Amino acid sequence: MIEVNITVNGEARTAEVPPETTLLTLLRDWGLTGTKLGCDEGDCGACTVLLDGMSVNGCLVLAGRANGCSVSTVEGLSVDGRLHPLQEAFEQHASLQCGFCGPGILMSAKELLDANPSASKSEIRIALSGNLCRCTGYVKIIDAVAEAGAKMAAHGGQSNG
Amino acid sequence: MQPFDYVAADSVEKAVKILIDNSPSARPVAGATDVLNDIRRGLVEPRMLVDISGIAELQGIEITDRGLRIGSLATHTEIIKSPLIKEHAPALADASLTVGAVQTRNMGTLGGNLVSAVPSLDGAPVLMALDALVTIAGSAGREEVALRDFFLGPRQTVLGTDRILVDMLIPKANLGKATSFAKFGLRKGQALALINVAASLHVDAATGRAAQTRIALGAVAPKPIHASEAEAFVDANAPGEETFSEAGRIAATQASPIDDFRASAAYRIELIQVLTRRALSEAYSQATGGPEGR
Amino acid sequence: MVEKVKEATRDTVLETATLEALKDIDVAGGGAVARRKAPPPVLKPEARRQTPSVGQRVPRPDSRPHGTGETLYIDDMTLPGMLFAKVKRSEHAHARIVSVDTSEAEAMAGVMAVVTGHDVPVNSFGPSYQDQPILADTKVFHMGDGVAAVAAISEQIAEQAVERIKVVYEPLPAVFDPLEAMDENAPKIHDPAPNIYTRKVIKKGDVEQAFAEADLVLEKRFSTQMVEHVPIEPHAAIASWDSSERLTVWSALGRVTLGRADLARTLDLPINRIRVQSTFVGGNFGGKNEITMEPVLALLARKARRPVKGIYTRHDEFVSSTTRHPFIMDYKTGVTKAGRILGRKVRLVADGGAYCSWSETALGKAAILSAGPYVVDNLHVDAYAVYTNKTMAGAMRGFGAPQVCFAYESQMDDIARELAIDPLEIRLLNAFDEGSPSPTGQVLESVVVKNSLLTAADRFGWKEPGQ
Repeated sequence: MIEVNITVNGEARTAEVPPETTLLTLLRDWGLTGTKLGCDEGDCGACTVLLDGMSVNGCLVLAGRANGCSVSTVEGLSVDGRLHPLQEAFEQHASLQCGFCGPGILMSAKELLDANPSASKSEIRIALSGNLCRCTGYVKIIDAVAEAGAKMAAHGGQSNG
Repeated sequence: MQPFDYVAADSVEKAVKILIDNSPSARPVAGATDVLNDIRRGLVEPRMLVDISGIAELQGIEITDRGLRIGSLATHTEIIKSPLIKEHAPALADASLTVGAVQTRNMGTLGGNLVSAVPSLDGAPVLMALDALVTIAGSAGREEVALRDFFLGPRQTVLGTDRILVDMLIPKANLGKATSFAKFGLRKGQALALINVAASLHVDAATGRAAQTRIALGAVAPKPIHASEAEAFVDANAPGEETFSEAGRIAATQASPIDDFRASAAYRIELIQVLTRRALSEAYSQATGGPEGR
Repeated sequence: MVEKVKEATRDTVLETATLEALKDIDVAGGGAVARRKAPPPVLKPEARRQTPSVGQRVPRPDSRPHGTGETLYIDDMTLPGMLFAKVKRSEHAHARIVSVDTSEAEAMAGVMAVVTGHDVPVNSFGPSYQDQPILADTKVFHMGDGVAAVAAISEQIAEQAVERIKVVYEPLPAVFDPLEAMDENAPKIHDPAPNIYTRKVIKKGDVEQAFAEADLVLEKRFSTQMVEHVPIEPHAAIASWDSSERLTVWSALGRVTLGRADLARTLDLPINRIRVQSTFVGGNFGGKNEITMEPVLALLARKARRPVKGIYTRHDEFVSSTTRHPFIMDYKTGVTKAGRILGRKVRLVADGGAYCSWSETALGKAAILSAGPYVVDNLHVDAYAVYTNKTMAGAMRGFGAPQVCFAYESQMDDIARELAIDPLEIRLLNAFDEGSPSPTGQVLESVVVKNSLLTAADRFGWKEPGQ
C-alpha cells in the first residue's frame, strides 16, 4: 500500500491505496463519479481530469504519480452553484446528449480556455482530439467551447462571475 | 490491473540500482502512458515500477556547448512549447504534435516514446535525421550511443532491463538544419503512424547541391531506419522534384512494411514514396528559403 | 396552462382540436371520466404543421446534471456489500467444452461466487430465435462467448479469479466467411440447424424480362464490414435480490421490458418477481437492445447473497456485444439509355455471426430498402442471414439500411457514369413520388425525396462549376 495526498478541487484528501490504483479509480472511490471510465487505455478521454492544470487521462496516471499534486474534476467546475461558462454553453447548445463523454470534454476544454479563451475552432478541435463523443457529434460541442471562451475573454479570463 | 510494487527514485544512480536489484522484473516509468497499457494487455508483467518522473537530471531542454540537450523526461507538450526547440529543431515539435492527443502529450515523454521502441513511434525520425546521440545510464556508468544504434527491434532497445535513458542530444552542427517531418495516420488526431518520415539536408550555397541528406523512416521495418541509399542519391543529384521522387522510390525499396488491418504493405510502399518526396521537398524549401520555408 | 398552449398552437388544426379536448376535460372538473357535451372533434393531422415544438430551442432536461457530473450512470452507483463480476471468455471461435474447473477460483480469498453455463436454469435467449446461451455450456460459438463468471469483493480479484478458471476445449472447425458458411458441406455451427437461418424474398414483376429489354445491365458485388457501436459507456448492470427472493436489476439496457422477459425466461422465475430499473444510458445505438450479462449477475448475486455489479471492459464490448452486420451484396440493374431503372436483382448475404440476435429484423429491413428510394417495377430480392463463428451482429442504427444504401447508391453512380448522365438527374428520374408503391406494395405518403435532393444540391452547389 502507498499513501497518497492529493488536493482535489481545492480540498486536501489522503488515501492508502494499492500501487496499481489509477487516479481515475481513486477519484471514483472517493465518490467523485463525474469522471468516467470509457476505455481504460487512454483513447476515449472520458476520464480526463486536470493534474496541476494539465489535462490527463485518469486511467493512465497512477495514484502514486499524483501524490502531492492538485487535481481538478468536473465536480469542481461550478462554484457555489454558479455554473462555469462552459457548463452554461454546453447546456445552451445541447452539447451533452447521453452526457457520458461530457465531464472529460469539459475538462479538456477548461485546460484550453484557461490558457487561451480566444482559441479558434481549429485550436479547439486539436484540444479535444483526445475526447471521443458518440451521440452528440462534435459541432455543438465545439460551438459551445467557442462561446464559453468568448464569454471568458469578455470577463478577462475569469470563469465564474 | 495486476498488482505491482511502486517506488519513486530521486536520482539516476538510485533508479539504476533499484532496477539492477530487481532485474528483470522492475521497469522504469515516467509518463506511464505506454507502460500501463502494456501491463493491462499482459505484454509486460513487472513486479515493480520505478517512477523516475521526479529525477531532476532527466528533465530540461537546454543549449550546451555540444548542442541541444533534451532530458528524457521532456514531455511532448514541453517539446511543442519550447522556444529552444522552435528555434533549433522545429520539426521535432511537429512530430510531437502528432503523438496521441493533448492528454497523452501532457504526460508522455519523448524519452519514453523512444524507449517504447514500437516501430511506428513518432519521436525517432526527426532525431535520427539530425544524427542525435543518446546518453544511457547503467551499472557501468554513462555511455553515449547514436540514436540509430539504439533500437534493436520491435519493443527492444540496447537498454535492456536495468539501464535508463538520460537524455538526447542534437549535435551543434545540426542545429537549424533544414528538417521536415511527415506522417500519415488513419485519422488526424490520436492515430498511430502508418508511415512517418523525417528528412533533413543542407544546401551548399556555392553549388546548390544538397549535402548530408538524411531520411529516417518509421513504421516501415521492425525499427526506425535510415534510407541510406536514398540519402546518398539526393546528395549525388541535382535537387528537385525529380530527384526527390526517385529518392522516394529508392527509400521504398529499403523498407519492409507490414500487411495488417490498418493498411496493406503495397499501400504503405506508396505512402513511403509520397511522404519521402514531400519531406525532402519541404526540407529543401526550408534550406533555400523557398515559399514553404519557415 | 391552456392559454399557453393556445399561444403556441394558434394556427394548427390538430392543436386546436387538442385544445377543445382539454377544455372538455376542464369542464369535467376532476371527475373520473370526462363528460363530453359534443362528440370529440375529428383530429386531422397536417404534415409538418402538427408539432409546434419543432424548430424551437428547448434545453434538454438532463443537460445540467450531465454537465456538473451529477448524473449517475450504472458504474456510478454502489449498493452496500456490492461485489464485482468478471466473465471468463472463450479462447476458441468454435469448440466443444470438455470441462470447466472453477475450484481454484472458488478457493481464492475474496471470491464470493462462481457460476458456469450449467447454473443457468434456461440457458438460451434471443429476440427471434433463442439460440444464444447466457454462458456457453456444451460448445462455444465464437471468441466472445462467456463460459464462466466470478463475483468477488474487488474487480481486481475477480479478474485474477477468472484467469484461474481452467477450461478444456476440443476445437472444432470454424467458419468465418458467410459465403463458405452457406455451402452445404460447411460445418454446421448450430448443428443440426442449417447455417442459413433466415431468408427473405421479394418478387415483383419480371426481372429477367426487364434485363432483356434494358439498354444497359450492370452487375457488381458490394461488401461492408463489421462495425461495433462503441458507446462510450460500456454495457453495465447491477443485480440485487431482496429477502423475499425478488430480483432488481439496474441496467443500461434500452429495452427494459424485453430484458425483464428474458430474465424471467432464463432464470425460470415468474416475471412479477423481477424489476428492471432503467437508468441513464451512456450511448446505445442499438447495441444495448438485448440482455448480456444481466442473468449472470442475477445468478452470482443469488449465490453470493450480495448485490453484484458487472461492467464490460472495452475488450468485452468488441468481442462480446452485438455489432452491425457485414453484408455481401450482389446487385444487377437494368436501365434504359435515358437512365430509367427497368429491373433490379439483389442478393444479400448478412453475416450474422454466432447468433441470430436482431438479424431477422435487420435483414427484413435491408431487403425492403434494397431497391433504394427508386421506382423499380421489376424486382427480385433474395436475402439470407448466415451463422459464422464470429461476434454476433444485431441491431445498430438503421437495421440493415446503411449497408444496402451503400450498394444501391454506389450502383446509381456507376450507372450514371456509364450513361454519362448527371448523378443527380438519374436519381431525380427514378426517385419515388407521392403515392409511389414501395417494393412490398406500401403506398408511400409524404414523399419528399426529390425535394430533399434538389434542396441539398442547391445548398452544396452541385451545379456550380468544379463540381
